[in-house]
Amino acid sequence: MAGGIVFGTLLAMGRLANLGPFSRVATAYVNLMRSIPLVMVILWFFLVIPLITGRPVGAERSALITFTAFEAAYYSEIMRAGIQSVSRGQVMAGQALGMTYWQSMGLVILPQAFRNMLPILLTQTIILFQDTSLVYAIGAKDLLKAAEIAGKNHNRPMEMYVFAAVIYFILCFTLSTMVKSLQRKIAIVR
Amino acid sequence: MIEIRNVSKWYGKFQVLTDCSSKVEKGEVVVVCGPSGSGKSTLIKCVNGLEPFLEGEILVNGTQVGDPKTDLPKLRSSVGMVFQHFELFPHMTVIENLTVGQVKVLGRTKEEARRKGADLLDRVGLKEFAGKHPGQLSGGQQQRVAIGRALAMDPICMLFDEPTSALDPEMIGEVLSVMQDLAREGMTMMVVTHEMGFARNVAHRVIFMDNGRIVEDTTKQEFFGTPRSERAQLFLSRILRH
Ligand SMILES: Nc1ncnc2c1ncn2[C@@H]1O[C@H](COP(=O)(O)OP(=O)(O)OP(=O)(O)O)[C@@H](O)[C@H]1O
Ligand SMILES: [Mg+2]
Repeated sequence: MAGGIVFGTLLAMGRLANLGPFSRVATAYVNLMRSIPLVMVILWFFLVIPLITGRPVGAERSALITFTAFEAAYYSEIMRAGIQSVSRGQVMAGQALGMTYWQSMGLVILPQAFRNMLPILLTQTIILFQDTSLVYAIGAKDLLKAAEIAGKNHNRPMEMYVFAAVIYFILCFTLSTMVKSLQRKIAIVR
Repeated sequence: MIEIRNVSKWYGKFQVLTDCSSKVEKGEVVVVCGPSGSGKSTLIKCVNGLEPFLEGEILVNGTQVGDPKTDLPKLRSSVGMVFQHFELFPHMTVIENLTVGQVKVLGRTKEEARRKGADLLDRVGLKEFAGKHPGQLSGGQQQRVAIGRALAMDPICMLFDEPTSALDPEMIGEVLSVMQDLAREGMTMMVVTHEMGFARNVAHRVIFMDNGRIVEDTTKQEFFGTPRSERAQLFLSRILRH
């Protein structure tokens, strides 16, 4: 997830920076990823990469990489909106102090973009977390799979699925509470 | 200090600046005025390279602003700028606004920057507000912080783009008085403003712009005595009636 945010932010900056070919590649990448269902990306990546490299990738590692790559596309759209939400005057104020492009990005624009977009980033992250159950398709171990195995071992499949659902709920709920308190702490005072 | 030579600039086909030339000597205070849309903001933003220009040249302390080889961030760090809408960084406290440039751009230590920042806050009369966020301050207070932020960089000259036109009338005075002190201390200043009182009190020269051209560039006495162009006369009579 952290990887997704970093990569996504880079993609967003790439699309906005007018770097010619790089911007076009970033745009194409984001559009492609956003128009394919996640399950297919997971499956393809798992099946295609071994064909190219000639070596099988572990299901877990493959799932991790796919998630980062896929989520980056979504986060990048969110961060792009976030960056555009920061006014042109703020950019000029940073530049007028003598900041370089990277300094004004890091000190002025991204901190504000991130704060403005926090609620949407949270929503996306929760969706991402629930989507981890999709790696089921390639047999990687996530929470759901672990529950299934435990259920079989103890001959209590129903209870274990319920247990898994409760865990999903608790994790998502905690996450959203944490982000809300973070939001209060770093909110821009207006 | 600032030398503008035959500068022209276009937005697409629309020509914003036409053959503008002027000069601001060290220690001089120059007021730029003119009707809305005449290109005042654009001209002042060209001086520190915030807006690129197509023709002509601008020299700041001997450095070519338009030259692609010029280190623009370095040049800008020595030219203070104050904006119409303050543009303080809303996610930082007041004191952080005053130190961020000193630390990240000039490489001063945090303590050094804090000391300097606190001194400047004291100078603009806002010592108690160091830990507050810009959003908690009134417009006049924010603009004074913004002046402090620019001064924290020890600029060789200061640019102001309508620093009081977004303020409620009762707050204009406090900002102007900070600017007047600055002018009296010998700061080189280029000020876009319609505050003719300020111009009368502290300006040395007045530039009048219309339609992207510098129509008048005279001493204060001449400008208020007998503006030579009809447009300037009309503009003055309108402004002074308020
Ligand atoms: N980014 C831009 N793209 C196209 N036209 C622009 C842009 N910025 C400014 N202009 C135009 O250039 C002209 C000069 O603008 P400028 O902001 O310099 O005027 P001004 O004298 O500062 O006016 P005001 O008193 O309203 O601030 C205006 O007609 C404006 O519409
Ligand atoms: Mg303007």
